[in-house]
Amino acid sequence: MKVLIANRGEIAVRVIRACRELAIPTVAVYSDCDRASLHVRFADEAYAIGPSAPSESYLRIDKLIDVARRSGADAVHPGYGFLAENHGFARACRDAGLTFIGPSPEAMERMGSKTGARHVAIEAGVPVVPGTVEPLGPSVSDQEITRLAEQIGYPVFVKAVAGGGGKGMRLVTAPEDLASAVRAARSEAGSSFGDPHIYIERQLQFPRHIEIQLLADRFGHVVPFVERECSIQRRHQKVLEESPSVAVTAEIRAALASAACAVARAVGYTNAGTIEFLLDRDGRFYFLEMNTRLQVEHPITELVSGVDLVHWQLKIAQGERLTLDPEATLRPRGHAIDCRIYAEDPDNGFMPSPGRLLGRRVPGGPGIRRDDGGATPGLDVPIFYDPLLAKLSVWGGDREQAILRMSRALGEYEVRGIKTSIPFFRWLLDDDDFRQGRFDTTFLDRELARRNGTPFVSVPEEAEHIALLAAAIHAYEGAARGGAAKDAQKMLSRGWTVKGRLDGLR
Amino acid sequence: MNFEIEVNGRSRTVKIERTGSRYRIESDGRLDVVDVARVDRTTISMILLGERETSHEATLLEGREPGEVEVYLRSGVVRTLMAGAPGQRRWSAAGSVLGGPGGPQRITAPMPGKIVKVLVKPGDHVTARQGVVVIEAMKMENELRASRDGQVKDIHVAEGDLVDAGRLLAVIE
Repeated sequence: MKVLIANRGEIAVRVIRACRELAIPTVAVYSDCDRASLHVRFADEAYAIGPSAPSESYLRIDKLIDVARRSGADAVHPGYGFLAENHGFARACRDAGLTFIGPSPEAMERMGSKTGARHVAIEAGVPVVPGTVEPLGPSVSDQEITRLAEQIGYPVFVKAVAGGGGKGMRLVTAPEDLASAVRAARSEAGSSFGDPHIYIERQLQFPRHIEIQLLADRFGHVVPFVERECSIQRRHQKVLEESPSVAVTAEIRAALASAACAVARAVGYTNAGTIEFLLDRDGRFYFLEMNTRLQVEHPITELVSGVDLVHWQLKIAQGERLTLDPEATLRPRGHAIDCRIYAEDPDNGFMPSPGRLLGRRVPGGPGIRRDDGGATPGLDVPIFYDPLLAKLSVWGGDREQAILRMSRALGEYEVRGIKTSIPFFRWLLDDDDFRQGRFDTTFLDRELARRNGTPFVSVPEEAEHIALLAAAIHAYEGAARGGAAKDAQKMLSRGWTVKGRLDGLR
Repeated sequence: MNFEIEVNGRSRTVKIERTGSRYRIESDGRLDVVDVARVDRTTISMILLGERETSHEATLLEGREPGEVEVYLRSGVVRTLMAGAPGQRRWSAAGSVLGGPGGPQRITAPMPGKIVKVLVKPGDHVTARQGVVVIEAMKMENELRASRDGQVKDIHVAEGDLVDAGRLLAVIE
């Protein structure tokens, strides 16, 4: 097997690492701005696929297939994002004689449509969030939609059938707002996904977002894992995940796992996938959707199960049988948490903060796992892609220890040159409700609204004094070295490149 | 040696002397004796000597303005400004060069992207932190806000426009 990784950043590095552990040769692809990125430097071979805009490089199926041919790769790992859930890409790989490391294009297509996936769940006897089952096209009248919403009961979500990541989604609390919400969701869905179909779903009150990771081989074996708790979301985007969930008892876990397996079996699923559920306060759960790929937050499952999911992805793709014991994978081994560290400024409305990474100090020690993105010191965090800088995951014997470790690791973590969400996570990990496990999917947006812009970064007065001392020492040394402040500044600007190189060698 | 150093908008005179690895630093009517060890080109370790010897690590990086040095500490970043650096724009008299108030507020695109929404029109009064323009970039919609109260003077973009980083979007007086 020789694997082409049709992705970039931390997930490309993650896949290359797994391949290397299994002595599988790797092929990277890169856009113009990623020439010096970590995944390119890590891979055995690397091929340019065009300009930095994703539509001209990482989303170009023809170029990726072409690189596979040139390099002699016989398998393709799509990572997450980009083409990972594009059944057309999976089909193109199959047509070119390449093994797509993921499910079949048919399973992907079926689960890729939200209404299609709801059908599958209903057929498998798994409860879904109350709502419309058939997709609603542009020809369905406002009156008909109003009637359907009335039946379902307000508040309702209007969602794009092809949606994801909170796009093409509107919350409607009163009937008079329905028509305009439908129009807005349709237009957003049309421009983002090229599909104006929508459906309507009741908004559950205070739900938790709970998901079940699973692996499935070609012989009908499906192995579920301990749930991941993903309720900590900002504007429908997950920012912190943990496993297991404080809200899930052994009984609920068993029920969730068997529901997830039933859905996977119903669609003939193979390889790694995740079934997302909403869990209400009474312990009832509802199928939400399926992610037909490896997920961003997969490391926490690896930490609590001891299973390398990417190893198994590669093995399943090579036709191996799953030999994991489903009872063992449903028994949590300690507790894991991960934080998605973004290049964004939490004190400026979480605005992306692209730019050059000038240096960093990274956390280490007991229980820490870090998956770094493409940018290392001296390189730019590009403006073209998702600004995920790194995933910081920790493992602890129990939830309390994991939280203490995460807090400690966030304190050690320093990123220079760009703004990051680290200060936001320091606040979150210290929040009493978070620490007590009292939260649902509405928690973070509500808390942030309540803070109303109170800065996450507040430098104590004593630190200002320390900074003054450091600046004075710096000025003194600069002056002593050659008199001129110019020299000191030259030294300073050269400094980070040297530091950058040292960090890169570590 | 004497230096004039500004920290968070307040200028201070600092008197500093060195003996071996020890510095005697007088500032703000306070005397500190600091033991310094260089960690690498940009990072120093400081121990403040005394009854309680506190340990601090500082990384010093050149900022955007001449004479600006960013000091990275455990608790965050502190911007400092050295007086008399060559090419310095202005110093002390009219306030700090480090984000001091005054003058119209120019809202520019922090990155290339697409203008999704313009939330205000010329003549509107805005309050601090009120949204002005929504820009979509890096897969996210981001609201650019006014940093203080004012009146919208000009809007330079329309919904649907593609803009480059640094493009002037709006001016608020």
